[in-house]
Amino acid sequence: MDISLTEPDLEFRREVREFLDQHLPTGAEMWTKRDEWFEKLRAKGWDVPKWPEEFGGPGWSPTQHYIWDKETADRTMPPVSPFGHVMLAPILMKYGTQEQIDRFLPSIRNNTVNWCQGYSEPDAGSDLANLQCKAVLNEDGTEYTVNGTKIWTTMAHIAQWCFCLTRTDNTGSKQEGITFLLIPMDDVEVKPIFTLGGSHHVNQLFFDNVKVPVENRIGEENAGWTYAKGLLKHERSGIAGISKTLTGIKKLKANAQTVRVGDSTLMGDLGFRNKVAEAEIELRALEFTELRSLAAAAGGNEPGPESSILKLKGSFMQQRLAELTIEAGGIYSSNNSSEKAGPAFAKGGMASYLAGRAATVYGGCSEVQKDVIAKSVFNLK
Amino acid sequence: MDFQLSEVQEMLRNSVQKFVSDNYELPSRIEQQKKGMGYSEEHWKTFAQLGWLGLPFAEEYGGMGGDAVDLMVMMEEFGKGLVLEPFYPTVVLAGTAINAGASSAQKERLIPGIVAGEIKATVGYAEEQSRYNLADVATSARENGDSYIINGAKSMVANGETANYYIISARTAGDRTDDEGISLFLVSADAEGVNGTHMKTVDGLRASELTFDNVEVSKDDLIGDLNGGLEILKKVATNAILALSAEAVGAMEVLYKDTIDYTAQRIQFDHPLAEFQTVKHRMVEMFTETEITRSMLYRATMEVVDGHEDAEIDVHALKFLVGKNGRFVGQNAVQLHGGMGQTEELRVGHYFIRLTVMDSLFGDTNHHLNHYSAKMPLPEANDEAVQRPFRTAANL
Repeated sequence: MDISLTEPDLEFRREVREFLDQHLPTGAEMWTKRDEWFEKLRAKGWDVPKWPEEFGGPGWSPTQHYIWDKETADRTMPPVSPFGHVMLAPILMKYGTQEQIDRFLPSIRNNTVNWCQGYSEPDAGSDLANLQCKAVLNEDGTEYTVNGTKIWTTMAHIAQWCFCLTRTDNTGSKQEGITFLLIPMDDVEVKPIFTLGGSHHVNQLFFDNVKVPVENRIGEENAGWTYAKGLLKHERSGIAGISKTLTGIKKLKANAQTVRVGDSTLMGDLGFRNKVAEAEIELRALEFTELRSLAAAAGGNEPGPESSILKLKGSFMQQRLAELTIEAGGIYSSNNSSEKAGPAFAKGGMASYLAGRAATVYGGCSEVQKDVIAKSVFNLK
Repeated sequence: MDFQLSEVQEMLRNSVQKFVSDNYELPSRIEQQKKGMGYSEEHWKTFAQLGWLGLPFAEEYGGMGGDAVDLMVMMEEFGKGLVLEPFYPTVVLAGTAINAGASSAQKERLIPGIVAGEIKATVGYAEEQSRYNLADVATSARENGDSYIINGAKSMVANGETANYYIISARTAGDRTDDEGISLFLVSADAEGVNGTHMKTVDGLRASELTFDNVEVSKDDLIGDLNGGLEILKKVATNAILALSAEAVGAMEVLYKDTIDYTAQRIQFDHPLAEFQTVKHRMVEMFTETEITRSMLYRATMEVVDGHEDAEIDVHALKFLVGKNGRFVGQNAVQLHGGMGQTEELRVGHYFIRLTVMDSLFGDTNHHLNHYSAKMPLPEANDEAVQRPFRTAANL
């Protein structure tokens, strides 16, 4: 057992830092120079770090992944939608035809196409297999007609495509009649849903006789649940965000020192300071759990219960960070306007806190995660 | 970065595991802890024969040349059996002090005897007024020609009654709580002026209140530099915390596994308790907290071995988590065993008690949280704090 970074690892870390220092846009340029940044990443071969080498991934070791995650967590990165990169891409790679791979993967990779995830429905949340959105294949087997609704669809309002779980059979078990379809958004109605604090990120989708060519089906009809389950594990792995939350704690400490408490600052308050310390301790333990999990995965294993543990605790810690941030913001955290009041960090804190209540619900709610862990670790029903 | 145990470590783990499963069924433990010094001399001889008593010592003195990771492997397995033999005070506590501060002559004098199972030792550091502050030392050592005269007392010294030697901290200069001016001395248990009150502790182990009344020791009994004892004591504390934490993780694993086994076969309301979701979820929480503690155990141990800059704070983090999560796992294991969990008959209660006691050794959760909090890195205050809200997948 050895934790030291080898010379090649240290060299890699230098290379990563240099690259980020040189090329990563900051401030407003993060939006204006976003495409340029993706091109530079692509040229370096680092645009899809978690993809297999045969699809353009760099073939990094667990330690290199850890180094990359740590270095990028420490900076503000132009956001990349996870739906294409993290969630759909592995499914295409594993279950898609060569044609589908050639057609869809490049634009996922280039971030030129936005995807959304058509999974949950009003009656199919934790019990996802209960989904009812119907897909009926026509007589000559060339086209599906889709009718139904999807809900909580993140960023559907800017998406061009939707990967969708549909019901194609009702005769067997719930899981046995599900088909995985890729649906263009052109004919799909999108209705915004406003979440706590007035944010718009999620939507409800309505499919009214939407036509989908059979070429857009992944794998076999009625085999979609298997593909989806694999995808859920990847989704889970991507959500924990331990490194990012650790960076957030660092920022919290910096911000808390700008909060005046009489002649001192909030970081001088032992009670508050210890709460921050406790959160950081938990995150440092989770960081190492992630590393152990990465090392195990390097042995070629599918993400196991570690991914559920990380999702369970990781989402909770994101919420904890947001909670401590609004606590630090004090009376200024309630500001819901574009006016300035109090320290600059206070305004964004409440938005994160409110949006963050969903972190323990999406990607499999915490209660379900515990059932998953019990099943895989304890062999309990 | 590598998480695999070496072949030697695997062998070590297997042999300790075998010893525990052969010898540490609960009834044997309960019986043994009442007799004599509270452990088996036969087992101690076995430890010597297997070379375990030489684990951290240099090969030139008959040791194995092992490090904190090797100790971690052993202590976790000991923890699964709640082993009674005084390995921790002799090999971990005294062993660290000897390795860190003893002269070659002292090492010659002590290590071969320890390795052979003939010498037992322990460290006396705590005093009534000191709480968990190692630098708070009222016990004094006054220079007297070629010797020192020691006066004072040490509290809850692990296995004080069976030890042949005590290594104790005494003040040779400065005020009571000064970092400078503490020295470590080797004191023979049968030296004149040494007295002890010997206790059973609720976890089946033994501890002593020791008093030193004009105890004379020679200059050859000074361990390390005069007034340089605190540095050595800090190393003792570090290794002690790593060892106790490994023992704790072993105990926590036994607790959640026993709980799964028990609730899977205990039928009430026509169902095994394990099928009820709140029970299931509680056990999942016990599992995850154990695994998280284990992660920090690996992290801190490896950082200490590596001399990493975060080693100090992560040792605090580790002891904090062991205390907090150990309590959680222990209390919930007892809870989920219902009435049976309240008895001495099942091993659950005994592991719960040991975890409870361990929180009081070398600093509790409160102590270590305060220390972590004081020592954690603080970035610069930031007036131009980041405007963007923290991003989650939902608001990308």
